[in-house]
Amino acid sequence: MNLAAAHPGFLSPTGVEVAFVLVGLATLGAALLTVTTRQLVHAALWLVVALGGLAVEYLLLTAEFIAWVQVLIYVGSVVVLLLFGLMLTKAPIGRSPDADSGNRWVALAVAVAAAGTLVWVVVDAFRTTWIDLGGPAQGSTEVTGAILFRHWVLPFEALSVLLLAALVGAIVLSKRTGRER
Amino acid sequence: MSATAAAVHSLWTTRALADTAATPAIPTPHIEYAQLSPVLIVFGAAVLGVLIEAFAPRAARYAGQLAVSVVGLAAAFAALVALAADGYAQGRSHVAAMGAVAVDGPALFLQGTIVLIALVATFTFAERRLDPVAHGNRVDSFAAQGSAVPGGEQEQKAVRAGFTTTEVFPLLLFAVAGMMIFPAADDLLTLFVSLEVFSLPLYLLCALARRRRLMSQEASVKYFLLGAFSSAILLFGIALLYGYAGTVSYGGIADVVDGTAKLTPALANTTGNDALLLIGGAMVVMGLLFKVAAVPFHMWTPDVYQGAPTPVTGFMAAAVKVAAFGALLRLLYVVLPGMRWDWRPVMWGVAIVTMVVGAIIAVTQTDVKRLLAYSSIAHAGFLLTGVIAVSPSGVSSVLFYLVAYSFVTLGGFAVVTLVRDAGGEATHLSKWAGLGRRSPLLAAVFAVFLLSFAGIPLTAGFSGKFAVFKAAAQGGAVPLVVVGVISSAIAAFFYIRVIVMMFFQEPQPQGPTVAIPSPLTSTAIALGVAVTLVLGVAPQYFLDLAGKAGVFVR
Repeated sequence: MNLAAAHPGFLSPTGVEVAFVLVGLATLGAALLTVTTRQLVHAALWLVVALGGLAVEYLLLTAEFIAWVQVLIYVGSVVVLLLFGLMLTKAPIGRSPDADSGNRWVALAVAVAAAGTLVWVVVDAFRTTWIDLGGPAQGSTEVTGAILFRHWVLPFEALSVLLLAALVGAIVLSKRTGRER
Repeated sequence: MSATAAAVHSLWTTRALADTAATPAIPTPHIEYAQLSPVLIVFGAAVLGVLIEAFAPRAARYAGQLAVSVVGLAAAFAALVALAADGYAQGRSHVAAMGAVAVDGPALFLQGTIVLIALVATFTFAERRLDPVAHGNRVDSFAAQGSAVPGGEQEQKAVRAGFTTTEVFPLLLFAVAGMMIFPAADDLLTLFVSLEVFSLPLYLLCALARRRRLMSQEASVKYFLLGAFSSAILLFGIALLYGYAGTVSYGGIADVVDGTAKLTPALANTTGNDALLLIGGAMVVMGLLFKVAAVPFHMWTPDVYQGAPTPVTGFMAAAVKVAAFGALLRLLYVVLPGMRWDWRPVMWGVAIVTMVVGAIIAVTQTDVKRLLAYSSIAHAGFLLTGVIAVSPSGVSSVLFYLVAYSFVTLGGFAVVTLVRDAGGEATHLSKWAGLGRRSPLLAAVFAVFLLSFAGIPLTAGFSGKFAVFKAAAQGGAVPLVVVGVISSAIAAFFYIRVIVMMFFQEPQPQGPTVAIPSPLTSTAIALGVAVTLVLGVAPQYFLDLAGKAGVFVR
C-alpha cells in the first residue's frame, strides 16, 4: 500500500501534496501581483497565471473536469474579454501612475476578511478529515458526464434552449439591417 | 496494476484502467417522450419559428410565425388533453424524465391553462390593425427595430421600410415552454433552469414596445435587474436546501424534512440544525413570491406592467402568475409540508400585506395599466389565502382562481390596447371618462372584466374568490378571510370608480378613439368575456375539473 491511502498524516507529504503547496504559493503570488502591478496588461497576464494555477490545483485534486472548465471559462474567455476591453478602451500599455484607487485599504480589508472567512470555513468544515483521492474519482469528466446526461438531461437540454432564446434576444436587440451601415 | 500505479491519483491512471477493463457504457436515460410531448411540441414550434426568422423572406415571416405558434400551441393543448384522458392527471401520475418533472393533475391543469393563455396572447401579439398604417405597412405593438435609437433617424427608416420584430413569436414560445416546465419541475435544479427559460424571453419582450420606447426599455432593465437578483436569491436558497438535505429532488428533501430518509452520518450532521432548511426554504419561496408579485417583492410590477407592450403585459400578468403559483404550490405542498407550522405564519403575513397594500395603492392610481398592475398584486394576495389552506381544496381553489383570473386579465389588457389617441394607447384614466358614450360595447366589456376583478357575483372573479376563501376558512384561516373580504371591498371601490367614470361622465372633446380591432383581438376579448361569464354562472364543471386535478405526485 502507499502512504497517501494508508497514512492519514500531514507531516510526510507525498509528491502530489508538495506540488499542491508549491503551485498554491505561485498562485497566491500571481494574485498579489495582479492587484499590485501598475501596468494594466501585466495585471491581466498575471491573472492568467493565477487562474491557471487554480486549474492546476483542481487537477492535482483529481477534479479534472472543473480544471478544464476553469481553463476554458476563466483563462480562456474571461481574460480574453478583459484584454479585449483593454484594447477597445485604448488603455495605456506602459505604467499607469493613476492605477491606484483611494479605496485600496478598504479593498484590502475586504479581501483579507473574505479570505479569512473562507479559510476558516474550510478548515472548520474539514479539520483533519482525510479524503482518499485514490478512490472512485468524483470530479472526473466521466462521472460528471454520466450524471449530467443521465439524471440531469432534461434541465441540461432546457439550458441549451435558454441559450438559444438568449441568442435570439441578443439578435433582436442589436440587429441593424439598414443600408447606412 | 502495480501498487505504485494505484498510489497515484486515479486521474493519471484512468487511461490505464480503461485499457485493462472495458469501461461500462453509460446507460441511456429513461425519458418518457410521450408524457413530455406538450413541452417538446412548444419547444419544437419555437425552434421552427427561429428557422422561419432565419430563412423565410421578410414578407412571409408574419404569417408563418403566426401559423406555427397557433398550430404548435393547439397541438400542445391537444397533447395535454390526451395525457389527462389517459389518466395521467390522477391514477397514472408519476415523476418523469429521470425525476426532473412531475406528470400529475396540477401540472397538466396548469400547463393547459398556460397553453390557452399563450394561444390568446398570440392573437393579441399578432394584432396589426390598431396602429395607423405607417408608410403603407400595417404595424403591430412591437418596435420596428429593437436596436434603433428611440425617435432617431434609423428608427424612422426602419418604420418606412416596414420592418417588424416577428422574433416575438419564438420568444413567446420559449417563455411558454419554460412556464410549462416550471410548475411541473420536480427538482430544484429544473425549477431554476425553467425559471430562467421563461424569464429571459420576458425581459426581452418587455423592451420591444413600438410606442414610448424609453419607458419600455426602462421597464425591461428594471425587470431584468430585479429578476436577476431574485433568481440569485432562489439559487442561493437551492444551495442551502441542498446543503441541508443532500439532494435537490422534491421527494428527497421532503423525506429528509419528515425524517423518513435513511440517516447517513453526513445527513445526521446537517439535519441536527434547521437553520439551513429554514433560510434555504425562505429564500426559494422569496424567489417565487417575486415572480407572483407578492408584496414585499412587488416593486417591479407597476413599472414593468406599464412600460411593457400591452399584449406582453397581458401575457405576463396572466401566465407568470399561473406558472409561479403552480411552482409555489408544489414547493409548499410537496417539499415543505412537514414545515407548514413554520411557513404558514409567514405566508399569513405576506398574504395580508399583499391584499391590503395592493388594494389600497391601487386606489391612488391614475393610469389604467398601473391600476391593473396593483390589482394583480391584490389578486396574488387572494391566491395566497388559498395556498395557505394546506388541503386538497386549497390546491383546487387556487387552480380554479388562476384560470378565472388569467382570462379576465388577458381580456382586460386587450381592451386597453384598443383605446387610443395620437400618442398610441391612451392609458391615463382621465381619458377614459365618458368612454361608455363613445363606445358602449367596449365600455360594457371592460366593465364586465372590472366587475370580475372586483368579485361581483355571476362573474368568474366571484367564483374564484369564493373558492379560495372557502378553502382558507376550512383550513382555519378565518381572520385571513375577513382581511380578504375587506380588501376586496377596497378594491371594488376603484374598479367601480372606473366604471362610473366610463358611463356617467361626459367624454372629453379631445378624448381617445376606440380602434376597430381585427378578429384576432376580438377573439381574445370575446374569449375573456365568455370565460368570465361561464365561470361565473356555471362554475361547477370547472370546479370539479380543478378538484380532480388537485393531487400532487411525490
